[in-house]
Amino acid sequence: MSVTDFSAILQPVARAKGLPNRHYVSDETFAEERERVLFASWSGLTVAAEIPEPGDAIPVDFVGLPLVAVRGRDGQVRVFQNTCRHRGMILVSKPGKVGNVIRCPYHSWSYALSGELKATPHVGGPGHNTHEEIRRDELGLIEIRSHVWRDVVFVNVSGDAPAFEDDANVAMTRWAEFDQPIYHGGADSTFSFDVKTNWKLAVENFCESYHLPWVHPGLNAYSKLEDHYHIEAPGAFSGQGTRVYAPQITDDGRRFPDFKGLDKKWDKAAEYIAVFPNVLLGVHRDHAFAIVLEPVAKDRTIEHVHLYYSRPEVTAEPMADMRRTNAAMWHEVFEEDISVVEGMQAGRAGLYFDGGKFSPAMDGPTHLFHAWIAEHMAGRPLAAE
Amino acid sequence: MPPSSDDTALVAAHAARDVDTLVLIYQGAAERAEACGDIDRACFFFTQAYVWALEAGHAAAPALHAWLVARGREQ
Repeated sequence: MSVTDFSAILQPVARAKGLPNRHYVSDETFAEERERVLFASWSGLTVAAEIPEPGDAIPVDFVGLPLVAVRGRDGQVRVFQNTCRHRGMILVSKPGKVGNVIRCPYHSWSYALSGELKATPHVGGPGHNTHEEIRRDELGLIEIRSHVWRDVVFVNVSGDAPAFEDDANVAMTRWAEFDQPIYHGGADSTFSFDVKTNWKLAVENFCESYHLPWVHPGLNAYSKLEDHYHIEAPGAFSGQGTRVYAPQITDDGRRFPDFKGLDKKWDKAAEYIAVFPNVLLGVHRDHAFAIVLEPVAKDRTIEHVHLYYSRPEVTAEPMADMRRTNAAMWHEVFEEDISVVEGMQAGRAGLYFDGGKFSPAMDGPTHLFHAWIAEHMAGRPLAAE
Repeated sequence: MPPSSDDTALVAAHAARDVDTLVLIYQGAAERAEACGDIDRACFFFTQAYVWALEAGHAAAPALHAWLVARGREQ
């Protein structure tokens, strides 16, 4: 793509064009985005709730890069390349307990949960577990830079992005009131969708409210389009907010407890932001959610949805019915979005689609994301360079 | 040649990922080899016992490690 084409995207929203088709239908551009956007930024990999206890590990194929997230004996989450330093064998092939060390299933080279190489059995011959050429301190697991925020495990594969706290400072500041413990609702509070769409279309749909009255007609009952506002933080995130959030109240008057110390505006407000590139977050007075978009291919994305609450007691059995009701509500909302993100993907097979004409009034958050992608694609060198 | 009872038990313990039994069998084989003066064979079996114990956080792991270190086979 030429610089001129990116310039069209970087125009003010009233005159800008959207990203052209190739950003959605080209294997080559998908591969470029992997390096320039997904690896060069702080991208969502998984959530820490997937590895709640020391010794838990989850392998994640991150856009073709085999990674494994591990919770160490010290409680810290670390991410490693899921590849043995000996013969390149995949170390962890399924989620679960790895034990005291990560043992390669091939020749049993064993790594501490913090990455150090601890054992190299028979490496110097049968019964000889050392060799002068095998320097364990040089052969630990390759650690990938990671940071956990709002339970999302973010990774910076290239290793050269600004510190997470600097990169996400604006979002962290905006939601500073919600910077308090959150508790994953458990098995009944997570679900996923395997969607035939490019990952960016899921971001674009999430961060705008324009589609709500058409795609989510049920929201018209209490959360009309005019009750929503844009959230735009150039270079960081975009999204939407509502002024009329109504918490779930059961027939017998039960409610989820609120997060502590929130400003009065959160009595009815809720916000939804896409933390670029691939993490979608929502906060409400009584619950939150995180969606990690797994970009599988140019036209396939898995959306991993996780719901969180303000107190540990919400995760217990007495509130299971309320959690299930809440999860079912969000499942319905996110499922309603599938037809449009898949439809936009299919529409990009249209040879004469020119990236699209934005609504100057309604598409600001989407345009902001396009501009962020364009800047990364045009202005940042490849991670491998 | 038919498998020995140790072999059969070893295969079963591997299949069940029964670390207690694995450590017991390998350690037993190591001690028998050591008693016969076959130190390399003993170290092989002690290594097998050690790696399974290390992975599982088995109580025998530190002693097995120390035994191998003392014989210059582990660091």
